[in-house]
Amino acid sequence: MSAAFAGRETKFVMNAYITSTGAFLPGPPVSNEEMEDILGCVEGKPSRLKSRILKANGIQTRHYAIDRDHRTLYSNLDMAVAAARKCLDESPLPARSIGMLSCATTQGDMVIPGFGSMVQAGLGIPGVELLTAHGICSSSAMAVKAAVNALRSGEHRSALVVVSELASRLFKSTRYEAAGGQAAMDFNSEFLRWMLSDGAGAWLIENVPRGRCLQVDWIRSFSHADAFPVCMSIGTPTNREDERTWQDYPTYAEAEAAGALLIRQDVRLLEHIVKLGVDGALRLIEEGTLVVDDIDHFLCHYSSHHFRGKIADMLEMCGASIPQEKWFTNLYTRGNTGAASILIMLDEFLREVRPRVGARILCMVPESGRFNTAYMQFTVTED
Amino acid sequence: MAANEITRPAALTELGQATLRQLMREWFNFERLLGGVPIIRRLDLATFTRSDYQRLLLNLRPQVVEGSRWISRCASSFDRDHADIRSVILRHAHDEHRDYEVLEQDFVAVGGDLATIRSQARNPGSEALHAFLMFKAGEPNPGGMLGAMWIIEGLGEKMASSWASRIEELTGCGSSATRFLRYHGGNDDSHMDKLYGLIDRICTSDRACADVVTTARVVARLYAWQLEEIDSELAA
Repeated sequence: MSAAFAGRETKFVMNAYITSTGAFLPGPPVSNEEMEDILGCVEGKPSRLKSRILKANGIQTRHYAIDRDHRTLYSNLDMAVAAARKCLDESPLPARSIGMLSCATTQGDMVIPGFGSMVQAGLGIPGVELLTAHGICSSSAMAVKAAVNALRSGEHRSALVVVSELASRLFKSTRYEAAGGQAAMDFNSEFLRWMLSDGAGAWLIENVPRGRCLQVDWIRSFSHADAFPVCMSIGTPTNREDERTWQDYPTYAEAEAAGALLIRQDVRLLEHIVKLGVDGALRLIEEGTLVVDDIDHFLCHYSSHHFRGKIADMLEMCGASIPQEKWFTNLYTRGNTGAASILIMLDEFLREVRPRVGARILCMVPESGRFNTAYMQFTVTED
Repeated sequence: MAANEITRPAALTELGQATLRQLMREWFNFERLLGGVPIIRRLDLATFTRSDYQRLLLNLRPQVVEGSRWISRCASSFDRDHADIRSVILRHAHDEHRDYEVLEQDFVAVGGDLATIRSQARNPGSEALHAFLMFKAGEPNPGGMLGAMWIIEGLGEKMASSWASRIEELTGCGSSATRFLRYHGGNDDSHMDKLYGLIDRICTSDRACADVVTTARVVARLYAWQLEEIDSELAA
């Protein structure tokens, strides 16, 4: 290695800082009682599982981008752009100078092109390096990590991460009626109807600190698709013996009739998400990346009540437990907005809690799709 | 020390905490292994059949019959300075030493023949698992066996909480045919307290901790192999 190159390497310590955040939630908060008025009763009959599922997830209010006539009031793109604008409005950085646009969504308004292309057009920012992460909840962490890596490698000085979700369109009563109505529905196909809702979040990440901001300490994730079956999905029919996926049907209408466009959660497999979430944390502790006692705030895209009982006791006994008072969530009031959740959560956390300089924030995003758990640690810093 | 009962400690030592963390990881890794075992995968994918259940019981029995032997040997390998540990393990041996009879009755309830299950030989995985357990249990003061108990007890709980009802759902057999699987679901608070107590008592040096964790890992691997062999027999 030449002396000149060695010099360069030590001179620049590449880093990444979240310097601004923004969030957008469509329309007024929707209470549990109002949900079915908007999503609709399947074949005119109220759900028998709704209250049980809501009791389990604890969500009190959420937001929908559709109205009770099932008109889309805000597209996924509209929400993404609104969140991105809020984020950019609070930063002196001109939008035109953004180097990378890193986006994620479970499903954009269009099947193709990538959601990122649409968001770029919506924002009107030129010449960005573009990424659209594909997945479910953890696609947000993928988009953030790609952005952070682009800054750390020195290729860009700023990156905008935009994550948006419009799940409610999947939950319209007409979707279930087209797939065979009540007779074809079960706990797994109804579970997410009472869980997911709409919203968008954005983070601006830069390679130098700006005012009070968050230094990105590390981002890691562990995927377990090799060892576990699909747990949350769209694309397979109600009849489990039919091995076709949605595009294998002669027409999309036939795929829908077979239930291949319904969103499903294999509830039986959900217990793994808690365990694998703990497993990832233990791996990070073992390698010295995560020091639990140093964490001041814990933002988890999962309710704390899932970490109860024996596993909570074990975490306590093994010294890996994060005390309840360090947990922050807005899941119960803003709803579970899938991939957008962690961005919306950090935005609200920074505005409401205003953590002290030096405070360490751990974010955890468990995805049940085929089991991927992501962790991000930030430290509050002041320029 | 020897006269004391093993009870839940207020807190684990740093070494105890590190061991518990590693044991938890070994358990999660075991669940990953199980997820890849064909017969367990069929449970997850809802393609598990009644004959799968029969084969599962057939292949579990030889090791379950021997279960009381390694536990008893393990207990007797602890000397007078470890009498508190010996007490815990003896009690455990007593609780389990006839549970293979329940397993046999389940096999009959699901349409199997008693003579068939009684004459079933150990599959290669069971052979290795049994040999390893008997060998470890025979070492003087075999603290590492805590790792074996961690895996086998954990599996007992998983059978009761997850496999039993799933098997009933997929095979249409009633709860009268899943009594063995449910029998091991008694992992209540007092059971966990004993376990924390044993960690506190046994994991007092890096070497002792490593022995516990390694034993857990070996038992997990061999157990998974035992279950994998069910499908090797099918292919043969």
